[in-house]
Amino acid sequence: MGVTFDHAPDRPEHIDAILNGLDRYNPETTNIFQEYVTEQCELKSYDCYANLALLKLYQFNPHLTKDETITNILVKSLTVFPSPDFSLALHLLPPHILTPASASSALPAAGDAPLSEAVQKLNVLNNNLGQASYAAFWSTLDSDDLYADLVADVAGFEELIRIRIALTISQSVREIERPLLESWLGMTGAAFDKFIGGVCGWQIEGSLVKIPLNKENEAKGTVVRENVKIDQFSRVIRRAYEQPA
Amino acid sequence: MSTFQNGAAPRAIDDDSDIEEEALAGDFQEQVQYEGMEELEQVNSMSLRDQTDDIQSRLAAAAQPLDFSAPLETKFASYDNYCNLFHFILNSDGPVDLEPPSYYWAWDVIDEFIYQFNSFCSYRNRVARQANNEEEIAILREAPNTWGCYSVLNVLYSLIQRSQINEQLAAMKRNEEPTAVAGDYGSKPLYRMLGYFSIIGLLRVHCLLGDFSLALKTLDDIELNKKAMFARVMAAHFTTYYYVGFSYMMMRRYADAIRMFSHILIYVSRTKNFQKNAQYDSISKKNDQMYALIAICVAFHPTRLDDTIHTALREKYGDQLLKLQRGGPESLPIFEELFRSACPKFISPTPPDFDNPELNVDPLEHHVSIFMDEVKTNMWSPTVKSYLRLYTTMDLKKLAGFLEVEPEKLRGWLLVNKQRSRQIRWTENGLLDGEVVGSGDLDYAVQGDLIHISEAKVGRKLVDWYLRNLARTY
Repeated sequence: MGVTFDHAPDRPEHIDAILNGLDRYNPETTNIFQEYVTEQCELKSYDCYANLALLKLYQFNPHLTKDETITNILVKSLTVFPSPDFSLALHLLPPHILTPASASSALPAAGDAPLSEAVQKLNVLNNNLGQASYAAFWSTLDSDDLYADLVADVAGFEELIRIRIALTISQSVREIERPLLESWLGMTGAAFDKFIGGVCGWQIEGSLVKIPLNKENEAKGTVVRENVKIDQFSRVIRRAYEQPA
Repeated sequence: MSTFQNGAAPRAIDDDSDIEEEALAGDFQEQVQYEGMEELEQVNSMSLRDQTDDIQSRLAAAAQPLDFSAPLETKFASYDNYCNLFHFILNSDGPVDLEPPSYYWAWDVIDEFIYQFNSFCSYRNRVARQANNEEEIAILREAPNTWGCYSVLNVLYSLIQRSQINEQLAAMKRNEEPTAVAGDYGSKPLYRMLGYFSIIGLLRVHCLLGDFSLALKTLDDIELNKKAMFARVMAAHFTTYYYVGFSYMMMRRYADAIRMFSHILIYVSRTKNFQKNAQYDSISKKNDQMYALIAICVAFHPTRLDDTIHTALREKYGDQLLKLQRGGPESLPIFEELFRSACPKFISPTPPDFDNPELNVDPLEHHVSIFMDEVKTNMWSPTVKSYLRLYTTMDLKKLAGFLEVEPEKLRGWLLVNKQRSRQIRWTENGLLDGEVVGSGDLDYAVQGDLIHISEAKVGRKLVDWYLRNLARTY
């Protein structure tokens, strides 16, 4: 399975044209990219490469920055964890964005204090997901109303995250206790049953959830064997011709 | 480009080249103008050069390193000189008829140009942060576009476009004659080499700005092998691999990063006897930096290194490597120390906010903190692996007891390690492409509280033995 970072299946042609030309630096394309981000949020599609191009435009033209678009891009990149997309986006934000509020609160003049607060909050979520502290992720998400605002624009955020969590679980787990899985997926009861059976295709047996074997969770021992190529024998064969016995 | 079109216009080179300027470059120019380029003219006027200047001496001067501690005035003047020179090369009537002074001249110019841009941005940021030199702050505030990011990128992209270098490289890839697509400019060595090294320059600028995926994307048309043009200039060869490797590392593609660093470090160690000169001295620092980066990557992604690299790594960073490989909180300061010493000098593309010195955080700090989050995410993987290696099945709660953590924490660590042992690895085509490969020799799955562990064993290697004995009997 090939992975291509700079391609997205749903990317419209005009976006592709901008990305491949110098217009990717043209501040006038900011709007087009912003609309594209909105579209991704609504249609549950995702295009990291284009979003990074928009962040780069913001990086070069700070006065064009729209906080909401930045946070939307970050929230979208959470939905594809554990890929590095969230970090790659962070790298393009202004350097002061991660400095603790105590340092920057002294200057109310700094117009983007709310942005840096939002980014730091999202970074907490990202670290929760990265460290596979899924239960902590859901409780963090519930801990502050700001989170609800931040993820509001991204359609199906919780479901997208759940699917990713389920995916990472299926890589390492064959059987798991139901209450634990409930806390990891942040859902219980009938909704849980539906998600496990319908979306994941796993079986619930009493208090256990069974995950069918796949390539990742079978953990089969392998023996790496030597890969012998005819080239390695070229010298031997040549010698055989040079010195006929 | 308008930097030198606008700024240098008084020099009265008949400036109708705009007409033939490609539409794209035209767009680009508007953007830069919109940035408020007028301010530049005042600065430029002080360095108006006589047209009759000996062009060869200017070419040579452009490749000369500027002293790091040069005063601001010199830095501004140097910027103007570059603008004038590039303006002359790009916007004269048709291609300029010049032979580059040497085969490495084009690299030196681009290298020095970016180096000065880099150090100017760092300097400007530092002045703003310290906020105690009113005089320099005033000067810098007046000239926000000197050594501006748009201007620098503009030069690099213009050189690339003029020389049709990407088209030429693509043709070479298809085994076609590059001269067919080179055009008037690209067929001249001056333009072709400037264009080529501008691609490497872009790789570097994107990396300095923290845009690691675009950095790798930039090299789409360049094939990384010993036959590539950059391989003829040692410093270019070296720089290319450093930035490609670093970008891979930041994209968490450690296997690819190790491949890049190893390739160039082996090359250096094999050729160093032929290069006992100034050029070699200047790369020895970068050499050490790359060993530090390899140490980081190997800690993230344990793998067998080439023997030469392994020995040198143990010599230079033996203690640190041990601590990195052991993981846990004790490894964090080592990761940070090595990263700081080995990363490029990151810059921020926009002029700093002189009114709020506190806002001007060193870009290095920003990138370090993002990187360290990833290190923290991973720091328990070595511990987990070292224990799992000892068993074929293990009770999760019992292992948690050994490690003195809650079972739930351990479950998280197991998931993290599994995720991180799968990474994208390059196989063919562009540098950004690749396939997901499970990299560990250790695999496991959790069934309830039971961890099943399996190891990939390496079978006996017989071919070497067989060949050696064959050679002996012949």
